[in-house]
Amino acid sequence: MATNQVQSIKDSLKNKIWPAEDVVFKEFHTKEKYIEALYIKTISDETIIQDKLLKPFFEILSPDLFLDYLQSSPLVIPFESEQKTLDEVIKGTAILFYQNAIYLFDSKVDRNNSVLDTTVETTIQGPQSGFSESLPTNLGLIRKRYPQTSLNVESTTVGTVSKTDVMILHDTRRADTDTLTRIKQFLASIDVHMFQTGEQLLDIIKKSNRALVPVMLVTERPDRVAVNLAAGKIIILVSGSPFAVVLPTVMKDFMSSMEDIYQTYWVTKFLQILRYIGFLTSLVLPGIYVAVTSYNPELFRVQLALSIAGSRMSVPYPSFIEVLLMLFMMEMLTEASIRLPKAIGPTATTVGGLILGQAATEAGLVSNIMIIITSSVAISNFVIPINAFSFTLRIMKYFVLALGTLFGLVGVVLGFFILIAYMVKLDSFGEPFLTLIQSKPRKE
Amino acid sequence: MKMFSKWGWMVIILVFVFLLNGCGFKDIDKRFFVVSIGVDLAKDGPKKYLVSLKFAVPSPSKDKTNEFAIVSEKADSMSEAVRIIKTKVDKEVDFSHAKVIVLSEQVVKEKGNAGIFYWFARRRDIQGIAWTAIAKPSALAVLKVKPKSENLPSNALILSLGKDGSETPYVISEFIFDMKYKLIEKGIDPILPIIEAEKDLFEINKVGLFNKSHMVMKLGPEETKILNYLRKREEKSAVKVKKGNTTIVIDTHKVKTKYKIYTPKGKAPYIKVKVSVEGTMEEATRRVPNEKLSDYEKAAEKSLNREIEKVLVKIQKANLDPIGFGLRYRSRHFNNDDWEEWKWIYPAITFKVHTKVQIADTGLIE
Repeated sequence: MATNQVQSIKDSLKNKIWPAEDVVFKEFHTKEKYIEALYIKTISDETIIQDKLLKPFFEILSPDLFLDYLQSSPLVIPFESEQKTLDEVIKGTAILFYQNAIYLFDSKVDRNNSVLDTTVETTIQGPQSGFSESLPTNLGLIRKRYPQTSLNVESTTVGTVSKTDVMILHDTRRADTDTLTRIKQFLASIDVHMFQTGEQLLDIIKKSNRALVPVMLVTERPDRVAVNLAAGKIIILVSGSPFAVVLPTVMKDFMSSMEDIYQTYWVTKFLQILRYIGFLTSLVLPGIYVAVTSYNPELFRVQLALSIAGSRMSVPYPSFIEVLLMLFMMEMLTEASIRLPKAIGPTATTVGGLILGQAATEAGLVSNIMIIITSSVAISNFVIPINAFSFTLRIMKYFVLALGTLFGLVGVVLGFFILIAYMVKLDSFGEPFLTLIQSKPRKE
Repeated sequence: MKMFSKWGWMVIILVFVFLLNGCGFKDIDKRFFVVSIGVDLAKDGPKKYLVSLKFAVPSPSKDKTNEFAIVSEKADSMSEAVRIIKTKVDKEVDFSHAKVIVLSEQVVKEKGNAGIFYWFARRRDIQGIAWTAIAKPSALAVLKVKPKSENLPSNALILSLGKDGSETPYVISEFIFDMKYKLIEKGIDPILPIIEAEKDLFEINKVGLFNKSHMVMKLGPEETKILNYLRKREEKSAVKVKKGNTTIVIDTHKVKTKYKIYTPKGKAPYIKVKVSVEGTMEEATRRVPNEKLSDYEKAAEKSLNREIEKVLVKIQKANLDPIGFGLRYRSRHFNNDDWEEWKWIYPAITFKVHTKVQIADTGLIE
């Protein structure tokens, strides 16, 4: 490369990078040679620069030998274009100017690489650690759990401003190529400024950016990722997020916990049935309560009908307002307990749950039965192992409640069917959402 | 009008729709549940019936759950009475939990009251599984009884008429849907239990047999038990057997009945009834050794044969058919005049009863 060309690139780079506090541009001299380096010190690992660059520079006296060292070092990438160089600098790469040539020296610092404990998808048995917030560490965790040479990793960036590194992992022997192409197209088509974590994809996947049911599974467990890789799924890792996205995902995946394979057969079956019952309870119970108490009380036994009538005597509002009131309070409690500091979390739950419930019945705002219904709805909502799906369920029950209020039991049935129809329509990258048979590893 | 956006309109419509929850929507506490219905003949005045509805009064507290209110009205028809009663109570009358229907003896004895029976079947809000019974001395008296053990109004009747509570062969209970079916169906006649009101309790151990319009005859407790054996509805009972000077009582735990109608050509038709009884000895006036049990079995068979035949003949003489022999005959014969045939056969038919009694043990260790 000609001297003036290098000089012009150097100047234009210096112009484009704002001379912020942490931008370093420095020359190093020995008797025989000199080198210039440009990097941002807050995102570069200065020990790497010290050990791998400066030490050899001062130890290797001959300029030609040092050039050989630079060209053969795995950390050094030759210059390609000015734009690429700029992109690299803001990610922590150092730019070296040496003997009329430009080199990119990979000195990216890898912070947040400590492995975190699982907090969202906890299991009693099985692995307890989740992902870290560092992309290479996460990839390493997956590789360790999935030692297959067929594991392919492709890299891309998402986000016009954030330029977040995203990795697509799949087992070339098991994954479906159609699905893979679809996912790549999808990732290429994303148009957002800031891409921070894989969960953002849940909304972006809809053209309207308004999705109700998630069609991607976001997990913090490397073991789940490894199992899904073996099942032919495709994994998306996002830099800076301790969550991986598993694609394609159907409802059965949302209803399965990693514990399912760490328990005995019948225990697993029992737990799975329990989850589906919890799903149904949480979805239709408020609607059924309104429909049965206000439209079809003959559905109860006499004893129950009379005791509900008795406990509702002091309630001044119609049943659906009572239900809405109580569900609203419950949602508040749930939301509040996420925000609360861990130390006072249990206190708030006790105060909110027990005292509020008790006081509400005493004051005649809601009936005793309503408290039971609200709490069982709240509890069964959290039986769903995947958080994203249980949040969806929280919304869906209001739909059933509204139809139940308007049309009675028929409305509850109708609402349930509308939701089923909606879910039937959904697909996750070609895989129907309600596929009940989980995709099995493809036969070779 | 560009006052609201598309979503604004949606919200407004939703709010209005929620406010307009039509007439179907009625909260459970605004309903007054009828738990039992009683029909008497009006004693004086121009009206024909005295209809009483027993309402359960719900209470917010756990104790005092068996509060009730009885509202009566004289009228010429059920519908009329119910409409007038609606004006006497503050909440919407709800029949969906009316599980007991009692008709006084006078009402069922009289001809021309079948319209009432059909009223219950016609109302869609009265459940078909409501128990129907005959009340003595009057329906109102039965409704007024408040047994000590009851924790809900009329629960005692529901428990003893259904087999949820006490299991006894002296109660034959009938659903209203079954009663309606038997009033219409050729070859089977309705049976209703008779409830006698006492101060704090009920006595239900007799039945009234109906033809297609009214009650024709009553059966006593022992005859009721035999009828229950024949209907295969209750297996827990006691059979008293006398042999010489010794009287023993068998506690049955299995009673099975089979019958077949034989119409041999050129011979008199007969019905072969096979009853098999299994049980243990419960009581004896004298010591009964194990070896002698077969003798007692024989004696029991003999006496049961006699008793069963007696009951069957008694019912036959009144030209009633609560067991459904006629229906059985019609189901096995496909000629067009099978019903006329049966009407001609039944009064003359003979019963051949074969009982098999098995006493498992004496109930004591020797």
